[in-house]
Amino acid sequence: MNSVGIVFMKEIREILRDRRTLMAIGLAALATPVVLFVISQVSTKTASQTYTVGYTGDIPSGLEILFSSTGLKLERIEDPATAAKQQVDIGIAFTSSGIDEYYDPTRQSAQIADVRLQTILSRYDAARIAATLQQKGVDPSVLDPLPVTVHPLSSPTKAAGNSFLSFFLPYILITMSLTGGLSAALDTSAGERERKTLESLLLTPAPRSHVLIGKILAVTAISLTAALAAIVSMLIALSQISFGGAQNGAFNVALSPLAAVVMVWLAVLLAASFSCLTIALGTLARNFRQGQAYATPLYFITIFPASIVLFIPDFNPNVAYYLIPILNAVLVLRDAITHDTVAWSALAVTSASLVLTGALCFYAALRLFTREALLVRS
Amino acid sequence: MTESAVKVDRLEKTLGSNRVLRGISFEARSGEIFGLLGPNGAGKTTTLRVICTLLAPDAGSVEVLGFDTRLAPREVRRRVGVVTAEIGVYPRLTARENIAYFAELSGGVDGEINGRVDAVLDRLDMRDFANQRAESLSSGQKQKVAIARAIVHDPPVLMFDEPTSNLDVLASREIREFMVEAKGRGKCVIFSTHVLHDAERLCDRVTIIHQGRVVASGPTSEVRGGYQDLEDSFLSLVEAAR
Repeated sequence: MNSVGIVFMKEIREILRDRRTLMAIGLAALATPVVLFVISQVSTKTASQTYTVGYTGDIPSGLEILFSSTGLKLERIEDPATAAKQQVDIGIAFTSSGIDEYYDPTRQSAQIADVRLQTILSRYDAARIAATLQQKGVDPSVLDPLPVTVHPLSSPTKAAGNSFLSFFLPYILITMSLTGGLSAALDTSAGERERKTLESLLLTPAPRSHVLIGKILAVTAISLTAALAAIVSMLIALSQISFGGAQNGAFNVALSPLAAVVMVWLAVLLAASFSCLTIALGTLARNFRQGQAYATPLYFITIFPASIVLFIPDFNPNVAYYLIPILNAVLVLRDAITHDTVAWSALAVTSASLVLTGALCFYAALRLFTREALLVRS
Repeated sequence: MTESAVKVDRLEKTLGSNRVLRGISFEARSGEIFGLLGPNGAGKTTTLRVICTLLAPDAGSVEVLGFDTRLAPREVRRRVGVVTAEIGVYPRLTARENIAYFAELSGGVDGEINGRVDAVLDRLDMRDFANQRAESLSSGQKQKVAIARAIVHDPPVLMFDEPTSNLDVLASREIREFMVEAKGRGKCVIFSTHVLHDAERLCDRVTIIHQGRVVASGPTSEVRGGYQDLEDSFLSLVEAAR
């Protein structure tokens, strides 16, 4: 076995005996399904929850049936404006001239109740108008001179699932590619200096570049394992969990084979790049703690790109954006999940960008690992 | 006369703004214990680090068994074993695994490596704790692991840099006995220390350095001169060099 393999095997053995790393991987695999289960419960509860509408005045005939079928419960109150602040989710006053509505937009329950109320009222209005027109012998379709028939190109429930995955999966992938191997990376770099083994290691005939490559490969393997473990556990959990509740059409989330292949490829590139970067930072540090301080800002790198997909779901940039590391991985993965297709030019640019990033990080790590200050500083 | 195993010639080294070595020269031979003496900060550790290729010389040269440290660093490292005061070991590996790791990195086929590790475990009487994780070992046991990994490739040159400074009396004595044994096996042993009592007992020849310069060099008895012991001679030389 050459020195790269020797260092790799030793690092893997040490990492697998390190509780911190094992806990990070274990937590990643266990935490994701738990989080998803909680999200599923919240979304199901939100979708099936009944909201209270406080009212005064007389309810127009037939309207109460629509209320009960849409998950709105009517409750007579004295002052709808006051009650809408806390007592009920929304307050309305039926008057001779129409309906006065009171709701607090800062309350999420009030927003949902408002949407349901508006839906009911528009249906009620349409039904009343149609009935009146028919009584007068007029075809109700006269009110709809240009009828629209919608033909969705994909299932709305599947689209909802894909939308969920397109945010959550890149976030998990990037976060775990970084954090899954972080402890191992710092242990094998800053830790080596801290426990005074670095000098002995550098005294062996093995070239320093080989030693470094062995360490990077070991950390990459751990990062990749952590990322894939988290994603596999997430997908298993998603196959067992329904979102949205039966009332609104519950949906399950699944990953297409193409998206899975793209995801694994990106996971390899991200894990290798992050491993080089974190080992470079660890090499710069005097001890494990200082290495953690250096690595902390990296967490923000993982959050911002995924947030773009969350806040701007239809963000469709030109190919130049795919040069930006990490953001490019998020975008490619989002496209693969949402549209079940890959723009090969974007994937090529993304791959080149991530390989270049990894190479630069490796070069930085190598420079730091081969300089004399590595020992003199300690 | 025995051939030089380590030849240091007008060695200069600056670290940051500190001119640590200012033209150090000496030769250490196979089959002797050579003392590199000096107060803290004299440049002993830097000299050893240049010899074992961890640092490159700014000027001058170092040869180990005919190999220039600048031109053939890997050949030099194959022939050198270093024991330092800092007995860092990999805590999650056993004593045996620690030693085997360094044996593998030093080269050799698998069967040969196992044989070498077994031999060094026997030689240092480490069988009882060979399969214990290093994190559970005592300081003395860890020091044995550090020595074992330095000698597992059977290097002809052994360097000890303040090896007893963190050890108790018993462990220190074992180190000294080991150096004497290595000398008997024909190794070139370079012993860097500021504990002059140890140096006087063990070293055949010594070089005293102060502020990056050699202030005395030769057989231990000659350097001691007319003084009662090496410590008096050392203090006199250092005082004169100020």
